[in-house]
Parts: sequence; structure tokens; C-alpha cells
Amino acid sequence: MAPDVKPMKPEEILQIIHAQRGSAICVPTMTTSPHWRTIAPDDLSVTCVGFMGGASSLGLGLALAQPDRRVLVLDGDGSLLMQLGSLATVAGAAPRNLVHFLFKNGVYHTSGAQGIPGGLTVDFVAMAKGAGYRTARSIHDIEDFKHRLPELLKAEGPVFVELHTGLSEQTPMTAGGGVPFPRQVTDLRAKLLRPRARA
Amino acid sequence: MPESIPATLIIDTLKDTFREARAALAAEVAEPPKHGHLGWILSVPDTHQKTVLAALDKEEQIRVLTCATEDEATTIAAGLHIGGEPCVLMIQHAGLYASVNTLRGVAMDGQIPLFYMIGLLSREKDKQPRESRHSMVRYCEPLLDTFGVPHARLEGPDDVHLIPEYYRLSLARKGPAAVLVGLETI
Ligand SMILES: Cc1ncc(C[n+]2csc(CCOP(=O)(O)OP(=O)(O)O)c2C)c(N)n1
Ligand SMILES: [Mg+2]
Repeated sequence: MAPDVKPMKPEEILQIIHAQRGSAICVPTMTTSPHWRTIAPDDLSVTCVGFMGGASSLGLGLALAQPDRRVLVLDGDGSLLMQLGSLATVAGAAPRNLVHFLFKNGVYHTSGAQGIPGGLTVDFVAMAKGAGYRTARSIHDIEDFKHRLPELLKAEGPVFVELHTGLSEQTPMTAGGGVPFPRQVTDLRAKLLRPRARA
Repeated sequence: MPESIPATLIIDTLKDTFREARAALAAEVAEPPKHGHLGWILSVPDTHQKTVLAALDKEEQIRVLTCATEDEATTIAAGLHIGGEPCVLMIQHAGLYASVNTLRGVAMDGQIPLFYMIGLLSREKDKQPRESRHSMVRYCEPLLDTFGVPHARLEGPDDVHLIPEYYRLSLARKGPAAVLVGLETI
């Protein structure tokens, strides 16, 4: 069971990831996305929006295409449940450069905070380990997270980190806006591949 | 009458298609990814194209990634595209039905070129798919029409030129395009 500590604030977690990510590609989704774009507005990110559960697969494709870069997936617990088989697909592909962060808040916060099946008792670490991730651990405390993150970002992937969080201040529904998905796709592709100027 | 297509012919065509895609990308961008392989097949195994999948097992130049669902395959393909890698989705009609929300959200709304090879398992040799006894055969082309996805049917070895053509079409229209494999490959 969870130690007796207050759940971490998702915004604080994202700040810490941002400070340490270097040139990693980031794939936020659901409630990680509004805050992420305020702290990392014009960088190597692409949001999983409009295809719930796809963050880990989008991250996997990027990680396989760009093996020299780290890819950080910022997933939701309801989202991961929707495409739970992706744990096995990621583990099977075994990308050394992929770190999968799961923001475990026990609810579908974006759609109105309904409980996810199984609530907080669902053990995603056991699932990730069972699927074959190289490393899987849960973190409850923000100081512990800050302390462990450098090592997690360097570890051979796929790495899975279950983060016990409270509810974010904003959701994609309350925050609205953001760069449209196709524009994010072309922007990130251009940053990674650098199109030649047309003559 | 439709005819079965040999796996080797499909694989050679896929290799040429990947080579062409890589050459086009190299002309277009300064930092194309450098890999030892030519491209990717993202597959949730299609009974109809199983001889192709079996032959691909022995291929070193094409990487095959088996996915748990077609939703994953579609979204992984999007990640590969953003990262500059050519890929083909090899699925069956049932897998298309299983992943329409992802087809819509990723390939269509995301304006991402995705090329599908979709097996029409149980398609009767003497019937148009739309007249099939089997709902899974019957609804495939109408579904693609509903979503505005261009498609063509591979009805024999002479049709494999449609593979690079529809691959190019997906790139040109920045969205999905599909070829349907009419009969079981040999
Ligand atoms: C296929 C599909 N079904 C349902 C929804 C409705 N929906 C939108 S957001 C959401 C909840 C997301 O929950 P979670 O992944 O836990 O992220 P959180 O909001 O808690 O960060 C749901 C159910 C959807 N977007 N797509
Ligand atoms: Mg949640």
C-alpha cells in the first residue's frame, strides 16, 4: 500500500522533468498536457490528443525512429488502461531510450473525475514488470522523485515509473486551446529532420 | 478472376517502396534517420497475408513489429513518421474495424501519411467484396469510403504496382491510403 504521504502535485512533477529532460522528446496526454505546454511551449513535444490511450505507442514509434534521443511519455492511468496491451508491445520492442511516466490519480480527471476501473488499487508497476519493462517502480514523494529522476533518465529502457499524484489544476477541457495536433506533428518532424530550404 | 500474389513479389515491392521513400526523404531533409534496415512493417497478424509475414521473418532489411492491437500499430506508425521512418501497416479488415477511432484521430485529424495493406479474409473468389456473404468482407470498402480513405484492390500479381502508388498517395495527401489484398497470398 501507499506510504502515508500526500500525493504529489502533477505540476511539480512536470517542472522537475522539464528541468532535467535535456533534448528528450516528450509525449504528454490528458491532464499533463495543459501545464506541459506552459512550461515547454516550443520544444520537442507532441501531445496525444484525440486518440485516448495512444501516448505510449506514439512514444514507441518516436523512440524506434530516433534511437539516439530519449523519449519521455507522460501518460494517464485511464488512458493506459484503454490500451493496456501497449505495455507488452513496448516491452517486446525494447526501446532502450524510452521512459514511460504514468500519472496515477485514480480517476479520469479530464472527463469529470470518474473513478477508473479498480481505482488506486490497480498495480501498474506489476503490470509493466510482467509485460517485460526493464525497470518499473512507483514513486510517492516529490523529493524522492527529484532525487531518482537523473538515474531514471539515464537507465536502459524501457523504464516505467508510476507516479502517485493528486489532481492537476487544469484539464484539457478547462484549459482549452493549444497547438492543433497536425501542426504539432509537422513542427516536431521539422525539428527532428530539419527540412532543407527550398531553392 | 482474382489471383493469389506470391509473398516474394510483395516483399520485393515493399523493399522498392521503402528505398524510394528513403531517397525522397534524404532529398527533402538534412537529418534523415540512419538505420541499417529499409523500413518497418507494423502488424497485427493477418491470416490472409500469413505467407508474407512468414517470409518477412527471414528478412533482415525489413523490421517487423507485431503489435497487440491495430490502435497501437496506427499510433506507432505516426511516431515513426514523425521520426522519419517509412512504414506499412499490415492488418486485416477486422483490425480496421477495431481501430477506426485511431484511424480518424491519428491519420486523418493528424494529417499523417499512413499506408495500409488490409487482407480481405474470407473474400469469395467469384464475388465482388461488397456482395460477400461475410459482413467483415462486405463493409471494408464502404467503411473506407465513409472515411474518405482512398483504396484499391490487389487482385493479382499484376496489381502490385498499386503498393508504391498508394504509398505515394498517402504522402501526397498527408493522410491514410489503403490497398486491399483480395485473395490469400501464397
Ligand atoms: C475512445 C475514447 N473514449 C472516451 C473518451 C472520453 N475521455 C476523454 S478524457 C478521458 C479521461 C482520461 O483519463 P486519464 O487517462 O486517467 O487522464 P487524466 O484526465 O486523469 O489525466 C475520457 C474517458 C475519449 N476521449 N476517447
Ligand atoms: Mg487519470
